[in-house]
Amino acid sequence: MRFSDLISLIVANLSRRKGRVLLTAIGVMIGTAAVVTLVSLGAGLQKAATESLWGISDLSSIMVYPTYGGEMGGMVMIGGSQQEQQDAVLLTPSKISEIEALPGVEQVIIQDYLSVGTEIKLDKLSSWGNIQGVSVSDLKDMNLEASQGTTELGMGKIIVGAYVNRNFYDPNQRYDEGPIDPPDLMGKILNVTLIKWSEEGGETRRTYRMEVAGILQETRGEADYSMYMTLDEITRWNEWGRGQRINREKEGYNQVIVKAESPQIVLDVADQITGLGLQAYTPQSMVQGINSFFTTMQVIFGGIGAISLLVAAIGIANTMTMSILERTREIGIMKAIGATNNNILAIFLGEASGIGFVGGVGGSILGWGASKLINIFSASYLASQASAQGYMGNTMLATVTPFWLPIFAIVFATIVGLISGLYPSLNAATLVPVSALKYE
Amino acid sequence: MENGFIQTDDLKKYYRMNTVGVKALDGITIDIPRGAFAVIMGPSGSGKSTLLNLIGGLDWPTSGSIFVDGEEIEALDETELAAYRRNKVGFVFQSFNLISSMSAEENVGFPLRFAGVQAAQRKQRAREKLEEVGLADRMTHKPTELSGGEQQRVAIARALINNPVLILADEPTGNLDTTSGLSVMHTLADLQKSGKTIVVATHDPRMLSFATQTIYLLDGKEVSEEIYHQTIEQLSWEGTN
Repeated sequence: MRFSDLISLIVANLSRRKGRVLLTAIGVMIGTAAVVTLVSLGAGLQKAATESLWGISDLSSIMVYPTYGGEMGGMVMIGGSQQEQQDAVLLTPSKISEIEALPGVEQVIIQDYLSVGTEIKLDKLSSWGNIQGVSVSDLKDMNLEASQGTTELGMGKIIVGAYVNRNFYDPNQRYDEGPIDPPDLMGKILNVTLIKWSEEGGETRRTYRMEVAGILQETRGEADYSMYMTLDEITRWNEWGRGQRINREKEGYNQVIVKAESPQIVLDVADQITGLGLQAYTPQSMVQGINSFFTTMQVIFGGIGAISLLVAAIGIANTMTMSILERTREIGIMKAIGATNNNILAIFLGEASGIGFVGGVGGSILGWGASKLINIFSASYLASQASAQGYMGNTMLATVTPFWLPIFAIVFATIVGLISGLYPSLNAATLVPVSALKYE
Repeated sequence: MENGFIQTDDLKKYYRMNTVGVKALDGITIDIPRGAFAVIMGPSGSGKSTLLNLIGGLDWPTSGSIFVDGEEIEALDETELAAYRRNKVGFVFQSFNLISSMSAEENVGFPLRFAGVQAAQRKQRAREKLEEVGLADRMTHKPTELSGGEQQRVAIARALINNPVLILADEPTGNLDTTSGLSVMHTLADLQKSGKTIVVATHDPRMLSFATQTIYLLDGKEVSEEIYHQTIEQLSWEGTN
């Protein structure tokens, strides 16, 4: 029997009993729609969670800290045995060269914080801020992008995060006046005053004029409230505050960012750094944890949908059994005119799969539509929440339908149909022709 | 005529109905030559349909052997048996056994689907066969739109579509009026003249005028013509008293 003939026969047989086929297919449709919608919801939640945590999701960087003697808490540590924790390993320039020499390391960026009392002023407005120096000449190396100006650092220049302007306030303002509008910092001069106290309590001040050379794009991370300068300038400010030169070979740096060549090898590189006795911390380990949680959630969601598909499968088996009972004589005729058992099996399995396929296509469309509806409703809900609280919320999607999901759902529903039809179809195929012909 | 086209040897078919054993065929040995018009005569329950079904490969014997055109039928597996039914045999049934959702043309072409013939060719061959049986104007009619005689002629056209050597007809006139029945008999006789072997199971005595060979069956056993007529007369005499 030709394959095209088989298909045309199956289609003809199914369209003979449109009502029944449709009713059975609706069961499959609901099951498939449930699977598609719930898995989309799971995928959407996962995406929202990962994105809100890691802004631009810089998964190729590793934060490296020195190991001080004794216990350290608070951070997620990779490896590190008791023995290693007892010996202090500092981020000295020679240690940093060792890290740079590791395979898979693309770049090592030294990051240091300003450890002197600071006052920041813009005309009459005051602010505080997290000022840090980095060993790169361009912040693009740290995956930061400018929304205005440049990302290139230089002497006398400062680049600020997206929300740094929200920290400015007017010290002379009366308490009953509303908050000021965040100033536009681009191109402005900030007066950064460093303050140190002598042991007698005397205060010494030193003011630097820093030009805002660029404003960074939103990262939803630490960078949004940070100000960046060159490492050299920060080191000089810190040395002034301390009143002596800092010996890095003795003291080391506070932290470095190691960039791996690709996100795939990050955990590997982190392990090697831990092997050097340092503390390595990677966002990827956390993202992995989140991912596995959401994968579990998607499996559970999919499982709920699968139960409705199981019910639909029983419906298909029932319809096929009834149909074969009604058509026993027809099976006898087909055998008498030369149909083989395999022909009969193929016809009835094809009909069962056909019901599954119709339900799968309908269910995928329905589930996809339901996912879109959830997005529309959640978006309008978030927008109303945002306007009530006076800020624009991020328009995050509640559901994400991966392109493979509808295809998978259709294939799966077809297979469900095929399996449901297996038992009745085998019964049909192995009927003795003469008894099938006599069947009333 | 060449002997041994259809040969059975001590053919037996026993059924179990509930707890009672039924001997549908009890040791039939026959020989039908190629090109014959063989009539199997017998009242209902005599085993004539069973014999026809065994020859046609629709059922398996309890014991004994059947040879058709050199092939040992009871030794074939299911797939070989399907090929045998498809290529060598054409069936005509008392109740026509057409598929009600298909037109006359589709019914006639249906066996060709299982033979892997293309749609366009199926249609053409089905039309030719329908013309041969005089139904050129009924091609697209559904079985319910045809008379009994017309339906049986569609069934004959279907039996002929694969150009079989053997036509097996089980009570082909049983559901037809006298005129249609006679017309079906003539059609079968024409087929015999064109070289096909015809085996008809019937209790319609008019069929005998076309027969080249008659096999009389009573209770699963072959009997002579005399014994057959004596028994039938006795039965009908007992029935009327």
